[in-house]
Amino acid sequence: MRVLAYGDIMDGGISVFNSVARIDGAKLIFSFNGVIRIDNPYRQLEGFLRELEEILSKEKIDEVEFDFNELNFCNSNGFYVIMDITELIINKIQGPIVVKRLKDDDWQQETLPILLNTDEPEINERTTFIDISEI
Amino acid sequence: MITEEDLAKTRISMRYDFSPIRNIIGDLSGLTGHFCEELIGSFYAKNISRKANIVVTELLNNAIKNNVDGDSNIVVEVEINEERLLIRVKNVVHKEQFEKVKAYVDMINSSKDKKKLLADTIRRRRKVRLKGGLGLIRLVAENKFRISVDYGSPFLIVESQFLLGGLR
Repeated sequence: MRVLAYGDIMDGGISVFNSVARIDGAKLIFSFNGVIRIDNPYRQLEGFLRELEEILSKEKIDEVEFDFNELNFCNSNGFYVIMDITELIINKIQGPIVVKRLKDDDWQQETLPILLNTDEPEINERTTFIDISEI
Repeated sequence: MITEEDLAKTRISMRYDFSPIRNIIGDLSGLTGHFCEELIGSFYAKNISRKANIVVTELLNNAIKNNVDGDSNIVVEVEINEERLLIRVKNVVHKEQFEKVKAYVDMINSSKDKKKLLADTIRRRRKVRLKGGLGLIRLVAENKFRISVDYGSPFLIVESQFLLGGLR
């Protein structure tokens, strides 16, 4: 397993977004960690998205795992951050998508499928959700 | 021995009154929401305490962003017992702002498919790179709260209530 990118975006001295992209064989594992509390979702993200796209272009990847298990909170402006990142990856990698999410978290159960655009048949067909219970 | 069931009958009430608003320079909504989650989570299940964090964060953030009088105050009230979780946020607004918020809340409450309304709103706002505008609808569509608004001049009062029946 290799780490491809580590995203720790700061705003006003506070970490507003933290993520790790790792590769395991031909599988990309993208983890969202901590809390996303962001005021302007577009300001900080552009550079990270550009860098991520460049990195992914150099890799041979045929499946994706999004891991939200360690994401404890996401404010509503943070939704756009998740959409921008996941859309880039989903468009770039045409393969199965596994989404690990918390079973008892309203936003991960109710809103996350909207952010991942799973009502698009093409995306829905290749997406599997795995619900994780916290101990 | 105190069981989880006993703990989930604990009555808690909190009231914060912040003034003047102009002095709020840090992430007050995040701090207050997180504290409410931690405190409520000491007694109630995680899925309930998380709801408190989301609602306090979104409502307090709205109140701070839309403040019209830096000298005024914002009041946050949180009450939980075995029946319900209630969160009320009051802040000073112009009457026209209240009318606008009321029309928006009425629209949310009258929507037959609130999840679709949330999805459509997210996509529409993202397309034109707008930020914000999702807090209230999120509370209803995602967190299953009932929301209502009132005006006690000069205060806008937004109240969110979640009935705990079956979730303890």
